[in-house]
Amino acid sequence: MFCAINPDLDHLQDGQFDFHFSAKDNLTTVGLPTRAGSRILEGYRPAFDAHAVEAMRQAGGLLLGKTNMDEFGFGTFSTNSAFGVPRNPFDLDRSCGGSSGGAACATAVLDGHVALGVSTGGSISCPAAFCGVMGLTPTYGRVSRHGLLDYGNSLDKVGLISRRAADLEMHLRNIAGPDPRDPTSCAQPPMGKSAPVRSIAVPKDALEGVSDEVSRSFQDALDRLRDDLGLKVETVETPSFRFAMPSYYVLGCSEASTNLARYCGLRYGVQSEEITEHFDKYFSRIRSENFGREAKRRILLGTFARMVGFRDRYYMKALQVRELIIQEYQRVFQDHDLLLTPAMPFTAPRFDAIDDMDILEVYKADYLTIPPNISGMPHLSMPCGYAQGMPVGMQFVANHWQEGLLFDIAQRWEEAFRLRAPEVTA
Amino acid sequence: MDRDTVTRVAKVARLELTEEELVSFHSDLEKVLDYLSVLDEAPESGSFNFNPIPVEDVLRDDVPVQEHDPAVLLRDMRTYQDYIRGPLL
Repeated sequence: MFCAINPDLDHLQDGQFDFHFSAKDNLTTVGLPTRAGSRILEGYRPAFDAHAVEAMRQAGGLLLGKTNMDEFGFGTFSTNSAFGVPRNPFDLDRSCGGSSGGAACATAVLDGHVALGVSTGGSISCPAAFCGVMGLTPTYGRVSRHGLLDYGNSLDKVGLISRRAADLEMHLRNIAGPDPRDPTSCAQPPMGKSAPVRSIAVPKDALEGVSDEVSRSFQDALDRLRDDLGLKVETVETPSFRFAMPSYYVLGCSEASTNLARYCGLRYGVQSEEITEHFDKYFSRIRSENFGREAKRRILLGTFARMVGFRDRYYMKALQVRELIIQEYQRVFQDHDLLLTPAMPFTAPRFDAIDDMDILEVYKADYLTIPPNISGMPHLSMPCGYAQGMPVGMQFVANHWQEGLLFDIAQRWEEAFRLRAPEVTA
Repeated sequence: MDRDTVTRVAKVARLELTEEELVSFHSDLEKVLDYLSVLDEAPESGSFNFNPIPVEDVLRDDVPVQEHDPAVLLRDMRTYQDYIRGPLL
């Protein structure tokens, strides 16, 4: 689950720190390598901490290490890392989810741990659901992205994974706030307390394509939210959500293809001994030798979507669809506090089943996590049941900047639901 | 997307594909683009932003600052007299 351990751990004294935490490997860290799961960043030693890492250290946190992830966040199962594959602590033959798979796994097995994760299209909700822990993805812009190795800069959010609701609130307050080094963080209102959650909307087609075992756990959770927590649960129509996934892959890959242009064997990571080649040949060789398969696939797709003649059909249309989805959420939030779906359509799959999936099946696995991610809505994945020993997650979504509602539901659900720890421990 | 287009896109993206990669990515991208065509059915929203929230420029005084030690920034790069060495132009 870790791809780098803090080399100073043995010299640090117990009691010197208030808590321990980890950082996903796409957040820069002084004193530890930062490779974002990619061979192309082998040898990169950042000169500064990412904002979120710096804030956690200042709050009294001990950084244990860097957690493994899909290369640059490109994946759903953490199987696209150049540095090994984290295994699910509930069943070692199954995936932790991705792309913050190492972060969710560390949280599941280390008591009191809090992990910094990053979500672009569901990379916190998915692994949190598969590993039976809580994953909070804040509003886009709530946490500075300074020091984050971008995947899609209009989509990336730094968030938290924990086993305790109170930790999510406490640590989001530590890492949130305006930071001039990331202008998108400067538009945020202060994070206040919210009124208690009273009503929840569930999309009419929330269970379409969802496995029977996840459907059963989700329905049981709805009953408990209604009966035990006294919440009003109503069905709503969300017709534009079906366009979220294609829009996400257009926007995410377009942004990734430009963001990854900087990795060419010159300023960061891998460099070749041989630099007598023409620069075009040199950059192409380094990139071809060191990017993984999924990174290449997404760079190709994103480059194509931005090319003259295709830009209006794909990229510009995807931007418009994002606006439609935001408007649809805001219509729902006029009458309801939160929107709820399962987090993932199935429980953590076995690695042999993942090997048999084709590319569209893998991409489509994210269809429940993409709508809040593409629209920048804060969301929270929480365990809501267990199916054949594997955790099932549900995902609450709130309006922009309404993280307080998520803290309220997290605390109330935590009191009503017994969280299980895996038998495997660190 | 035909095979020549994949080759052209790869060149723009500075990726050299093996024959096996070319065949495999061609097949994958055709499937994905076929799926993306559902976007043609989406209604026009009439407006859009490049970020999901409104963002304003953040300005600071035009005063030179040095956030990081240049020696630390250069320590892992191939340099010659504090210049970064690179391939031929």
